Amino acid sequence: MAIMKEKTKTYLHNPGYLKVELMLKGIRVDGKALKKANLDKCRDVANITCGLDIILPHNTWVTVPYADDFVNDSPYELIESEGKFFVREGAESVNVSVVPTPKFYRLKTTTGISLSKIGIVHGGHVAITPATQCDFFNKEIECRYCAGNPDIKKGKASVYTVEDVLETVEAAYKEGKAEIVYLSIGFSETADGGIEFLKPYIKAIKKHFNTLIAVEALPPKENKWIDETYAIGADSVLYNLEIFDPKLFEDICPGRAAIIGRKRHLDALEYAATVFPSGTVASHLIVGLEPIESTVTGIDFLTNMGVIPILPVYRPSPRAKLPHYKMPSTEVIAPVYGYLYRAVTTNKINTSWVRDISVVTTPLEGRFFVDDNARMQTFAQNFYKSRLGLKAAWSLATLRRKLRVKLEHSD
Amino acid sequence: MKVQIDRRRIWLIIILKSFRPVFFLATGLFFFYIINLPTPDGLTIQGQRAIALFVVCLILWVTGLLPLAITSLLAIVTVPLLGILDKKETYALFGNEAVFFILGAFILAGAAMHSGLSSRIALAIMNRFGNTPAGLVFSIFILAAVLSFFMSEHAVAAMLFPIVLEIAKGLNLKPGKSNYAKSLFLALAWGCIIGGIATFLGGARVPLAVGMLKEATGINIDFFEYTVMVFPTVLIMLLIGYFWLTRFFPSDIEDIHLAKSVFERKMKEIGKTGYMEYAVGFVMIITILFWLFFGKSLGIANIAIVSVVALFILKLVRWKDIEEYVNWGIILMYGGAITLGASMEKSGAAAWIANTIIGDWANSPLLVIAIFSLLTILLTEGMSNAAVIAILLPVGIGMASQFNIEPKLITYAIAVPAGLAFCFPMATPANAIAVSSGYITTKDMAKAGIVMMILAWVVFNMTARFYWPMIGIKL
Repeated sequence: MAIMKEKTKTYLHNPGYLKVELMLKGIRVDGKALKKANLDKCRDVANITCGLDIILPHNTWVTVPYADDFVNDSPYELIESEGKFFVREGAESVNVSVVPTPKFYRLKTTTGISLSKIGIVHGGHVAITPATQCDFFNKEIECRYCAGNPDIKKGKASVYTVEDVLETVEAAYKEGKAEIVYLSIGFSETADGGIEFLKPYIKAIKKHFNTLIAVEALPPKENKWIDETYAIGADSVLYNLEIFDPKLFEDICPGRAAIIGRKRHLDALEYAATVFPSGTVASHLIVGLEPIESTVTGIDFLTNMGVIPILPVYRPSPRAKLPHYKMPSTEVIAPVYGYLYRAVTTNKINTSWVRDISVVTTPLEGRFFVDDNARMQTFAQNFYKSRLGLKAAWSLATLRRKLRVKLEHSD
Repeated sequence: MKVQIDRRRIWLIIILKSFRPVFFLATGLFFFYIINLPTPDGLTIQGQRAIALFVVCLILWVTGLLPLAITSLLAIVTVPLLGILDKKETYALFGNEAVFFILGAFILAGAAMHSGLSSRIALAIMNRFGNTPAGLVFSIFILAAVLSFFMSEHAVAAMLFPIVLEIAKGLNLKPGKSNYAKSLFLALAWGCIIGGIATFLGGARVPLAVGMLKEATGINIDFFEYTVMVFPTVLIMLLIGYFWLTRFFPSDIEDIHLAKSVFERKMKEIGKTGYMEYAVGFVMIITILFWLFFGKSLGIANIAIVSVVALFILKLVRWKDIEEYVNWGIILMYGGAITLGASMEKSGAAAWIANTIIGDWANSPLLVIAIFSLLTILLTEGMSNAAVIAILLPVGIGMASQFNIEPKLITYAIAVPAGLAFCFPMATPANAIAVSSGYITTKDMAKAGIVMMILAWVVFNMTARFYWPMIGIKL
């Protein structure tokens, strides 16, 4: 593992460190700068997707909390000078871009639902949860770190129609915010892991837009549903294990452990990695909820299977059931991301897919912690972000699906 | 619909998937290569083009990369485009009597099945004679054969299959293990195969061959004449088939009373004989009698079509009921095969091939019959029997005219063995249906079938050698 970096000087000039720092500590920002940046975003600190979207040097995206209570002690401040934005720490500063609130957030669907409620933009991706329900809450076996969704009331979740979702994707697509559409679904006690529910959404998006789709769901009971997920148009899949340590997994994720099981999570990921392209099967391992050594073991285990570990840092929430949790420091976390980068490159897993994620440090951003230029990977990633690259990625994904999927008529 | 993901290396999938376009490109290039070769002595330019088209169709029929009917349509359009035959003449060939006979036969069989008549007959016979294990095998075998005298063997196999399957399940026979189950399903398949060669009605291949013969030479074979020529082969093969079946798969059960309850339940399900069944049965009997006694004078296709019209006048069937029983693909396929055969014949290509390639050994009719029947019986194990006829018959007829052999004999030597495919499920739908039960494996079928194939060839040639002269056929 890379040697832990002591904080003797500012992290401002290393986008990897700065991203982690900003996610953990937030940023102070005055109303004038916000107005200048045309920003109007949520301030819920517990929700890691809430915050300012800032692009750090080397095109490193980060969503930074800026709610007053949370950021009072933050050494970082967002300032604006002559139309340019800077992150300042003490006397030093670094030039950044602030991503304005997407214009489509102001729009509503024909049924009157605000598009910002349906789709949330992170970088070039739009994340949509067509049904906000998670049955773990109804059974009171939800994951303990989960702050829950206020829409969930004993099974009465919001369910957006296919048309609502299509309108949202269309609006995001026109703004260039839908390079990848993330569709997620909570736990439902069906064998398919929710893919049958997502199927009409996936098919409709694929029918109307040349965009890639990632599906975040719980592992289905049988592998045939993973085949189905790929066949209907998903280009990437995330089955989040969250905690690698078996004991802590049972403690922190009682629903996942009891109803799905750790083994099934790992088996599904292993199988999915043989179905989906390299670098498109991912699993979250939350940093800080288990010993770092366990996370590192998890990184090795997943990358050996061809699965990309995504390592979000947990920010405590009063609504979550982890009262004694303490956020890890940047110095503790940083080497883990460096290790992740090494593990992913050693196992030759494509890093172009997991990119521009503002709420988590991506595997390729791990290069900042080990002083590696990763020229080839960054070139590939930049290419896939270009117009030509996006078209190429979509075409290759479509061609690959055409080659791999066989539909057998049962008659 | 079931989804399967091909998880092999992507380069391997690409190579495998590119086989198809590469194959078609290569076939096209090969076609142009043959066309552009210097025309050999004794062959016209039209003949050369007909041979090129024939080779392409042969490749497509053998590989099955295009549906048989589509290959036939390709042949139909290519013949006038290459100037082998005139447009008008080409499309007129599709209106051949054989094509309409096949259409009529499909509709008549469909009416019999739709009315429930055929199922009733099947159940009644099996219930009456299937009192012992051997008796049940015998009754299925003979029933499948006899029904195939009057309707397509494929339809008979499809009709009897659910009943035999229920018998096997009712007797608690183990799939893949039980000898008795194997003998039941092979009795079904072999009965259909042997019975299917007995008349024009057992399959569309005989009318196809007769149609091709008529187009090429003007010679006709009528319904009665064909049956008389073939019947000894059928009888001997039925005896051999039953003997071999019961020896190769000796029964491993003693009691079949459970099968009887299947028959009784099924009989109850279909209720008493209704007006429709009587009426359809009456039309069928009259039709068969007309085919037997007036086929030559009135024409078998005319009789079939008049019977079909009668079914509709009497409101015994509706078009909607019949549509599912009419295999339009087969009808298109046969139209194309007849066109291709005629183009080979009329352009002189068939005669040229016969003269050039087969001429050296064609010194006796019996030898020619032996070789053509052998080629046919081997080819028909791996490909559609209609395709075998489409490939071999134009050459055979060409040869007959070159070497003063009666073309009818060549037609028999190809049309009859083309139906005798005992070894593999892909050879004929009856075999495929039997294997689809899971009670018999392809290996079992091949092991038992290879003996039947050899015996069938021997019996056919013995019939030609000893029986045909007895009924006045000069060899």
